[in-house]
Amino acid sequence: MPERYAVLPCNGLDKAVGPLAREIALMVVEACQGELICPVLYNNLPAHYAKALELPLIVVDGCGTRCASKLATEHDLKARRKLQVAETLKELGESAGEALTPDPERLALCRRLAERLLAAPAEGATLYTEAAFAEPVEYATVTHDKFIFHIPMQGYLFNENHCWARVVGSRARVGISDYMQQELGDLTFCELPQVGAEMGQFDAVGSVESVKAVSDIISPVSGRVVAVNPAVAETPEIINEDPYVRGWVAELELRDLESDRALLLDGEAYLALVRQKAADYRP
Amino acid sequence: MSDDTFMGVPREKIPWYPTIDYSKCDFCMECDKFCPHQVYERREGEVRLVVSHPEHCVVFCRACAKTCGPDALSFPGKPETIELIKRLRAEAEGGDA
Repeated sequence: MPERYAVLPCNGLDKAVGPLAREIALMVVEACQGELICPVLYNNLPAHYAKALELPLIVVDGCGTRCASKLATEHDLKARRKLQVAETLKELGESAGEALTPDPERLALCRRLAERLLAAPAEGATLYTEAAFAEPVEYATVTHDKFIFHIPMQGYLFNENHCWARVVGSRARVGISDYMQQELGDLTFCELPQVGAEMGQFDAVGSVESVKAVSDIISPVSGRVVAVNPAVAETPEIINEDPYVRGWVAELELRDLESDRALLLDGEAYLALVRQKAADYRP
Repeated sequence: MSDDTFMGVPREKIPWYPTIDYSKCDFCMECDKFCPHQVYERREGEVRLVVSHPEHCVVFCRACAKTCGPDALSFPGKPETIELIKRLRAEAEGGDA
């Protein structure tokens, strides 16, 4: 029996992805004998679900409006897992169609997505011991008003999207920079990529969400995802506390580091970029 | 904003910005509320939202598209954009030599 969850779905019954979100939520609740949270009732009477929300939460959004996610944020709920149906269908090359009543084919697809939501995320295998990636890091700092931004000077490569790659042998870990985590503020959710996914350079290798914004994690390097960091999915605050070491998001088997490197910055160059950014910094 | 170059290439030479499909857009303004870089601008009249500052858009960021319920925002392809940046950088280096 999988772990029990409370499931907060989209209630968008007027377009095709909404009923799919509803079906997925029902399937998840049934499979884990969890609790369904009606977003309309929850919005009006949150106390009704106080008991159910003691369970870890799964949020199922239909479309990009992300009503269910926003409702969760308004009520300070933290999701353990999330699914956005429209985006996931796009990734799978599927369509929601037009009909508001899902056909058998789409119901089968819903079942697959429900199973995927409940499956324990595959962590993959890290090739190197934690020790190789936990070597002490020396930071340079940029100070602006009361903000201090840390930049590791050795062993890290950056892109101008404020994401880093730390290369050890044929692999790299990737994550977001201290500048980016401070710009976003307290993180409430971190989406991990699927282990096995092939990433191009500058593809989104996940996303982070704070009360202020959602931001893609733009991978500085190309390669195959061989491991993800379940700790940051469980406790995204780790990225705020230690963005460069404990806050890693994914580990990639590198495909073409030499070609990727041409478009990346070393610590020194990234320090210069953060200096320039800090001058206009308005949190 | 002092971002006039991206990866050493003048920002205006990189055509990375959202395009609004007005047949889908319902002017909910979620993208404009979301984007911290003033890429969008609200207008009076029938077309109430335009991409007024494409050069403010962060290259490779597509985050606003994820806030779009009706899926009305599109971006150029990433591989093409990377190729273009590489080509412009090579040209700039050639020019300096």
